[in-house]
Amino acid sequence: MAVKRKPIGFYLASGWMGLCVLMSTVGGFLPLPNWKVGDYDNLGVGLFSPGHLLGTDTSGIDQLSAVINGTRLSLTISFTAAILGILIGGFLGILAAYSRGWLDSVILMYFNVSLSVPTIILALALVSIFASSDSMGQTSALERIGTLILTLAIVLIPILGRIARASALSWTGRDFVLAAKAMGMKPLQIMWNHILPNVVPTLLSIGFLAAGVLIVVEGGLAILGAGVLDGSTWGAMLATNRQLLTIYPHTTLIPAAAIAMTVLSLNYFADYIRNIIDGRESRL
Amino acid sequence: MKKFQNITTRLAQVVIILVLVTFGITVLVRLLPGDPASTYFPYATPEELKVLRREYGTDKNLFAYYIDWVAKVFRGDFGYYYSVNGGKALSVTAMWKQAMPVSLWLMFYTVVFSLLCAIPIAMITAFREGSRVDRITSNLLFGFSAIPNFAIGLGLVFVFAVQFGLLNPVGYHPWRDGAWLHVKSMILPVLSLSVGQIAAYTRLLRADLIATLKEDFVAMASSKGLSNRWILWRHVFRPSSLTLLTTAALNMGALIGGAVIIEVVFALNGLGMFLQASIAQRQYLAVQSTVALVAAAFILFNVCADILYGVLDPRVRAHRGR
Repeated sequence: MAVKRKPIGFYLASGWMGLCVLMSTVGGFLPLPNWKVGDYDNLGVGLFSPGHLLGTDTSGIDQLSAVINGTRLSLTISFTAAILGILIGGFLGILAAYSRGWLDSVILMYFNVSLSVPTIILALALVSIFASSDSMGQTSALERIGTLILTLAIVLIPILGRIARASALSWTGRDFVLAAKAMGMKPLQIMWNHILPNVVPTLLSIGFLAAGVLIVVEGGLAILGAGVLDGSTWGAMLATNRQLLTIYPHTTLIPAAAIAMTVLSLNYFADYIRNIIDGRESRL
Repeated sequence: MKKFQNITTRLAQVVIILVLVTFGITVLVRLLPGDPASTYFPYATPEELKVLRREYGTDKNLFAYYIDWVAKVFRGDFGYYYSVNGGKALSVTAMWKQAMPVSLWLMFYTVVFSLLCAIPIAMITAFREGSRVDRITSNLLFGFSAIPNFAIGLGLVFVFAVQFGLLNPVGYHPWRDGAWLHVKSMILPVLSLSVGQIAAYTRLLRADLIATLKEDFVAMASSKGLSNRWILWRHVFRPSSLTLLTTAALNMGALIGGAVIIEVVFALNGLGMFLQASIAQRQYLAVQSTVALVAAAFILFNVCADILYGVLDPRVRAHRGR
């Protein structure tokens, strides 16, 4: 088979995500102003000002430096939560599809119940529960991040689980599974060796989509005042800067653009993988 | 007989889900740190708190508390809003009367507007699959679908309200304030919610249309000399609209209470914002009843989608001709 050239979108998406990963690892070493300390001579300057490529906000904080710093936490939170969601949701989904019977009903009921509450409301309630261990709401930044990851993962599990179950269902009835059963393989072994490999591509595709969705949900939670609050994620930047949208529009539009580009790239990957799967299945 | 049994199982499922959702949210609400008594009376003595908790019913254990709530809901009492002066000032239903129209109008306009945009776009792109128009539109929509709705909302506020000073960016106006004011207050929120939905709907419908266009009965209709327009609407659109309608119905359910970020950005005091405020203020009863309402609406739309499915496509009508 001839090697097909990859579409240009693939390179753009990979380029942006590569840049994001690079920035989240070595971004702190770049010769840029500290994102926590304001430049009091240049308050709220616009794009392409000398010394501040993306301008500064109302307290003189360099926006390029802030958005680069935000990359790390935004990506860490959404990817960790997405991976947790895939692992647990995928396991539950495959387990449900393989076992059928009462276990399937119980798991499916759990999925349906949690899906009937709007995602953002559920996330909001969970953040409120986990975040403030005492009534004063004094929590460290690390605790808040852990809280967010846990919340987003919990919200994601039923969504991914249902997709994993649907995908696994189309494989559990096949002859090779029956053959494995007849040979006396243990259920967990069958799930691991025969069903999981077939479900992984779908899970991977949905996983990219989910990571994108989670970046958006994190931003939404920040706007509602339930995210990381000190401006160290894109969502938190958006939440603080949006108050001054009318005066310093660029400070809101920069993190919004960063979120949009990342989600776009992740969606593209999801789509790309999906197309590969579809192509493979149609050749079967 | 079989059909009747189908409806009963379906109904039983709905009831079980509702019970589990409301119980689950009761557990979550009771897990919230800080209860109404200590939130509203931070300086009360332990004895006073005890009295307050008895009054609020929060001294009971989880199950007794839940059953209390269910019993009241069956009597049409959805609870009240705790307030600092201790009175049972506002009932939750009274608050709903204010918030519900906002959410319902927002949902209605969004779904209608999205479908009105998505259906023609999908028809054109599917009919000319692979053409330049199709490729450009599909790529554009793919791009738009990636922009979070709050980013679109903030961008729209910036462009329309700030740059041109055209539409008021925040606040809701009911119909009785005048039609123009009402429409004006809804345009930006509806637009920001719609962009993503238009992209999603167009994608779904386009894929289904393309699949249907390859069916034999389309070739048949075409060879009978029917016009393209007639074939597209009568023969292709109807069987292809199933996924679209189900998704739209699900989105309608999700938009009630789920549009909280857009409601906050545009200061529309809908159900989502009400829920957010209730969670923040530890309004146990308001949270429980409102989540129950939102979940019930979501499930209702789900069931409607299932029924629609049967009406639109005779092939999936349960147990017919088998």
